[in-house]
This record gives sequence, structure tokens and C-alpha cells, in this order.
Amino acid sequence: MKSLFRFSTCLIGMSLLANFSLAEDTLPFLQGIKKHTTLTTTVPDNGDQNPYALAVAPVSAGSVKAGDLLIDNFNNAANLQGLGSTIVNYHPDTKQLTLFAQLPRDLHNCPGGVGLSTAMTMLKSGWVIVGSTPSNDGTTDTKGAGCLVVLDPNGKVADVWSGADINDPWGNMAVIDRGDKATLFVSNAGFGVGSAKGNPPVMNQSTVLRLELDIPAGKPPLITSRAVVASGFGEQADKGVFLIGPTGLALGKDDKLYVSDALGNRISEIWDATTRTTSAGIGRTLTHDGMLLRPLAMTTTPQGHLLVTNGSNGKVVEIDPETGKQLVARWINTNKAMTPPGNGNLFGITMNAAGDGFYYVSDDVNTVVLAK
Amino acid sequence: MLAAGAAMASAGSVQAETVLGATPPAELNPAELPEADLAVQAKPADQWTGLLNRSSLLGDMGGLRSSLGQHGITLGLSETSEYLSNVSGGLKHGGEYHGVTTLTLGLDTQRAGLWEGGTANVSVLDIHGDSFSADHVGSLQTASGTEAEATTRLWEAWFQQKLFDGKADVKIGQQSIDQEFMVSQYAGTFMGTMFGWPAIPSYDMTAGGPAYPLSGLGVRLRGRLSDQLTMLGGVFAGDPAGTSNSDAQQANKHGTAFNLHGGSLWISELQYGLNQPGDGQLDDGKPKGLPGTYKLGAWYQTARFGDQRYDDTGLSLADANSSGNAAQHRGNYSIYAVADQMVWRPAEDSSRTLNAFTRLMWAPGDRNQISFSANAGVTLTAPFDGRDSDVAGLAVGYVKVGNHLREYDQDTATANGNPLYPVRRDETFVEATYQYQITPWWQLQGDVQYTLKPGGGAVSSNDSTQTQRIPNAWVLGVKTVITF
Repeated sequence: MKSLFRFSTCLIGMSLLANFSLAEDTLPFLQGIKKHTTLTTTVPDNGDQNPYALAVAPVSAGSVKAGDLLIDNFNNAANLQGLGSTIVNYHPDTKQLTLFAQLPRDLHNCPGGVGLSTAMTMLKSGWVIVGSTPSNDGTTDTKGAGCLVVLDPNGKVADVWSGADINDPWGNMAVIDRGDKATLFVSNAGFGVGSAKGNPPVMNQSTVLRLELDIPAGKPPLITSRAVVASGFGEQADKGVFLIGPTGLALGKDDKLYVSDALGNRISEIWDATTRTTSAGIGRTLTHDGMLLRPLAMTTTPQGHLLVTNGSNGKVVEIDPETGKQLVARWINTNKAMTPPGNGNLFGITMNAAGDGFYYVSDDVNTVVLAK
Repeated sequence: MLAAGAAMASAGSVQAETVLGATPPAELNPAELPEADLAVQAKPADQWTGLLNRSSLLGDMGGLRSSLGQHGITLGLSETSEYLSNVSGGLKHGGEYHGVTTLTLGLDTQRAGLWEGGTANVSVLDIHGDSFSADHVGSLQTASGTEAEATTRLWEAWFQQKLFDGKADVKIGQQSIDQEFMVSQYAGTFMGTMFGWPAIPSYDMTAGGPAYPLSGLGVRLRGRLSDQLTMLGGVFAGDPAGTSNSDAQQANKHGTAFNLHGGSLWISELQYGLNQPGDGQLDDGKPKGLPGTYKLGAWYQTARFGDQRYDDTGLSLADANSSGNAAQHRGNYSIYAVADQMVWRPAEDSSRTLNAFTRLMWAPGDRNQISFSANAGVTLTAPFDGRDSDVAGLAVGYVKVGNHLREYDQDTATANGNPLYPVRRDETFVEATYQYQITPWWQLQGDVQYTLKPGGGAVSSNDSTQTQRIPNAWVLGVKTVITF
């Protein structure tokens, strides 16, 4: 009994830590997907558009029920990027969409204000943390450094984190959530990025920041330490998609953090992600090119494979991080109004609560889709 | 060091005044200073925020669009304006302005809180200015697809419902079938009319068919047979104008005739997508070819169609003894093929693509003015660095006059004792164009057109001897499209 107990504890621990299972790598997860179902529009009453981040609620708290899907919007009603200020909540049980939060555009202590990015998570303590990559005119010409915003489970702003090591927290977060403590990884894609006019240069200044959080009961999280664990990824202003930079973050086995390096067209792995005190630079290349075409958001399947959305076409690519092999890709957006089909339409992706499918946004039509 | 210190700070500890304005001490590396955008202040967004960067000139229209959006309604408004000038040849030198304002209201039933998969669409056109080609060029392949008689008219009014989990849909109501049938993706770049709605349906269907600026009542079915194959089929009122007036646009001046007389038009089209992914399709990473779309179609119109040469007694209509009543044929029909193919791109995610298209159509020459039409061309998207939304293009169009009409011209020559009377045979049209995207909502297009044998080589109305053809014509044009 003792050894069995130890074994199951180990399993649970690993699952909690890295959303990983010990299951043998069998069929690719994407081959088991049968259907794509459009669940809802993501446009709230204020007309915000361009859904970016997705986060499944791990607990019921405030206005959020466990399993709810939080979706933030990057654009405002005039479809200007970096001016979206809302988070909506899709309730899978009732199939209803409600407004979770509407942040003030000129949020105090958030340089440049609010334009909600792909960085968003909800902690088990009920706090929601969301990134802002703001602009005053829809382009990087007027972008601010942005911030991370802490919201209570009723969508009220509880704290704002900014600083010299936060500049346009852009990509989806990787989180280790231990309840009263948490480790948060977020990419910053704004350092040195200027105007998108002409042919903007690639700046190799993007970082992945690790934040250690202490979460006292009933109080907002506090940052207890912060460290840049990776840096030097390419980032670039862009007329069409605002900016391009590392977007997807996911934790794997052996304390590895995977980073989708959009401009490098590669997936990078950062070793000793939770313990390192120095930057690993741009890390080691797990895989590059192949079916990847500007990899963006990333999530992890129950068997530990990475699912990465492509920014430049409508595919999601499945990667076995053990081998670095790209297993298969699946077309999840084939809008032929873009070249290649689905170009620029995919962003947020996250597994559903049951782990048998994934949610993704189609930001060309402002909807969220369940693939399972 | 400053960066490290600031990094440990919590909200508000990095103040703007530490970032801007101060000259750094000589020993401090400027690269270590916090980014200037830490000091950027949020500005409230208003109606004119980001005017040059957004997709529509009026944005949210002061909240109107988002208010409508709450009820599943979308509002579209655009203005297309053109100035075309004949600078050489043709019938008359000089230019004309014309344009069309298009107002579209759409309804998504799911977003309106009703049922899934329903879409309604109503559009209204305000056509203004003067038409150009008939007076200035005399061409069959007219200079602009926007040209039409000035009026305000209802254009389309239809409802579409998805069926069988989106594998099929049905569309019912007043439709302009040029929006779905015979469409060439790449030909749409060009200003010439026949790169939109081609010459054969324009001249051979009654009143030009249910196509801009007209439309017709009908039902259209679409089925996705596989990831690559789509079938379109529909039946529409054969005469979109009503026959009380020989000028179809006058007969249905406001688009509200809803005419159901004049037979019916049956049309079907099979579409094949080459190297085009289907939703949910798996990809093993093996290289794929460049995407293309190929279409085969046919239409049949029930009604009687007058012969282009003979009268009801078997005499030529040009004969002095003719009854003047054309012999009648039962029905009219045509077959067609459309091909759009990307032929080159430097990389899969490149905006720069070289594309080719062609459309070929045939119809019987006894009852039709045009028996064969073809167009073909190439477009280059993103022709210059930093101009991702621009398109350059070169295209050619060709129409062949039906054999009975050609013979009618020969009969006319004989009847008039004028052996030099020009016989219409064919017309060739060449167009070079460049679309420049000024802002996402404003497009400017420059255009050069050359028409060889305007009217198919028709006699010039300026020639009293009735022996001279209309001279080959050069036309210059400029077009602007604003999306409000």
C-alpha cells in the first residue's frame, strides 16, 4: 500500500506541476478530434473585438464557475488593436456569454493603459491575472509598456504590476499553481519595438519573465521574486498583427519551459525553468520549421504533447516534446479570405476542463470554437 | 542596475519623470535605461482614434455598429467612385464620373438570439454619375463594372440557412447571382465589366441576367460534397427587369419589380479546390502545391429567344421584305469554365503571390449576340516591399460575335448595297491596373485599357458612309473605394 500511495502521489504531483501524464505516447491527440463546434461570439456589448487569450476556470469563485471559459479581447469596437478592454465569460453549462470584466482604458499604473493580450490565467485562489499590451491608435507607434492586471473573481481590479522588466506581456502564461503560492511565466514582446511603418526591424530583446507569487488567504497575490529566465527572442512591429514575438509558453517534464519563438519559427526549450536565476538566452531548439508557420499560442495535451497554433496559416501543430518530432497538424481555420487560409486568425488555445478537446479562438469572426 | 532595481518595484514605482527628459549621466549606458514607453499615457479613445489604422472610416459610428451588433446586425457602407476618360479612338474623347454607394444590412440569427445558422442580407445601391462606355467607346467589354443608370435601387434581399451541420445551405430571395456564380477570385482586381459578370451572361441572358445592378427572385442550394468539391445550383426568375421597357434598368428602376414572368433561369456550378484545406483536415507536413480553384458550370433559361439573323418567315431581318419579327428559339443555354491558380510565391507565408486566372464561355450563335467569351490575366499581390495589400495586374478579354449576328451584318451590307459595311466579328480588350491601399478603408486604383475593334468591329456612328469601324480606343481610369 505504501508503495502504491507513493506512486499515485507522484502521478498527481506531476500532473499538477506540469499538466503531464505518464501515459505512453500513442496516437496524436489531434487525430482523435472529430468535430469543431463554434460555441459563441466573443463580442461583448461594448463591441470589443479580436479575442485573444483563453483561460479555463480551475475553481468556482465570484461570478466564475469552475470550467467557465474566460476570453479577453485585444481590439476595441472600431477594431483598433491594443485598445480592447474586456474579458467575457462563456459558461459551457448554460451556453451563455456574460461580461466578466471591463477595465478602464486609462488604468492607473499601467503604462499606456489597457489593451488585453494573450497573457491570461485564473488561479485556484480565484484571482485572474491578465496582460496588457496597449496602444493609443491601434499601432505600435503609440504603444505603452503595459502591465499585468490582477482581478478578483468578480472582475474588479485588485492590483497592477508594471516595471522595467515588463514590456507588453504578450504571450499566454504558463503557471504552476500551488494554491497559496504560484509561479507564473509570461513573455514580454515590447522591448525596443517601434513603429510598424516601412520595414520595421527585428529586435532581439524579448524576454520570458518568471514571477513567484505569494497568495495570502483573501488577499491579492504578491510578487515575491522575479527573474528573466529567457531573453533575446525576436520581436517586430507589424502593420497587420500589431507585433510579432514569442507567444506560447507551456511547461513540460523535467522542469522544462517551452516557448514558441514566432519569428524564429521554432519551439525553444528552457531548462531549469523554475529554479534558474539567470537567463537561458533563447534556449535550445526543440523543433523548427516543418509544419510550423509563425508559431503562436501553445497548450499541453493530457499525454504531454504540445499543441501550437500557427500565426500564418490556420493550422494547429502537435509536437512530442520528448523527441521534438512534429507529429501532425490539423486545419482549424480555413478562411480563404486570407492567404494562406486562416492567416492571422488563430491566437488563443487551451485544453477544455475534461482534457478531451481544446478551445481556440477564430479572431477573424470573433468566435470561440471547441474542437473535440 | 537601474533596470534591476525597477524590476523589483511594484506598481507605480517606476515614474515617468525618471524615464524621459533627463539626460543620463555619462557613465550610464542608455540601453540600460527603462524603455520610453513606460511613460506612455493612455488616451481616451473617441470617434476619430486611429483613423488611419482601422478597417473602416467611421469605425464604430459613435456606438451604432456595436449597438446593432448586440442584436446580430452588421452595417456595411461603401462608396465606389470612378473617373474614366477616352483619350484615343472610340466614339468620343473625354471622360465621365460615376459611382455607387452600397448600403448593406446583415442579420445573424444566432447572434440575434434566435436560431443557429441563419443569415439575412438586404442591400441598397445608390448609383450616380453618367455612364461612359456606350457614349465614349462603343465597346462590348465595357470599361467598368460599376457603370449603370443613375438611380437608387434595392439590390439583394435574401435569407440563407445552413443545413446538415454546415455541409449545405439554402438561400432564398432576391439575389444578384454574380456574387456567387462564375466568380473568378483574381479577375476581381480589374475594372473592366467582363472581369466581373462576363460577356456571355451580360449579353445573352434576358436583361443581362440577375446581376448588378439588377437581381432576381430565386432559390440557391450549395452542398459541400467533400473538402475539395462544392456544388452550387439555383433557379431564378428569368427576367429580372420585366419586359414592359426595352431598357431593363429603367423597367426595374428601383429594384422592386420582383418580376416572375419571362421564364426561369437554371444554373449549376461544380467547384474544385486544388491544394486547399478543409476544416479539420490533417496535415502530415508533406509539401503541397500552390492553391487553385477550378469551376465548371452551365445554365439554361426557359423562354423564347429571337434569332439574331432570321425573321419568322425565314428571311434575313436585314431584308427589305422581312416581317421584322425574329424567328424564335426555345430556351437558351451556355457552358463555362473558370480557373484561378496561384503560380508563384517566395514562401508559404509571403504576401507576395503571382496568380493567374481564365474564364471561358460558350453559347449558341444563332440566338445570341455573343457566342464565345474569354478572359485571362495575371495579378501580383504585394508587388513592392511594405505594400502588402497592393495588387498589380494585367489582363485580356475577348468576345466573339455570334455567327447569326455576323451574318446579319453581311446581309445588311448586301441589302444596303454597301460592300464595305463593317461586319462585327470580335473584340479584344487589354487592361493594366494597380490597386494602391492608402489605408485599410481606402483604396485607390489606376487603370489603362485598350480596346481592339470596339463593338466587335462595329460601324462607327460618326461615319456617314457606314464603312468605317469604331477606332481602337485607349481609356485611362481612376477608381477609389472607401469603406465607411
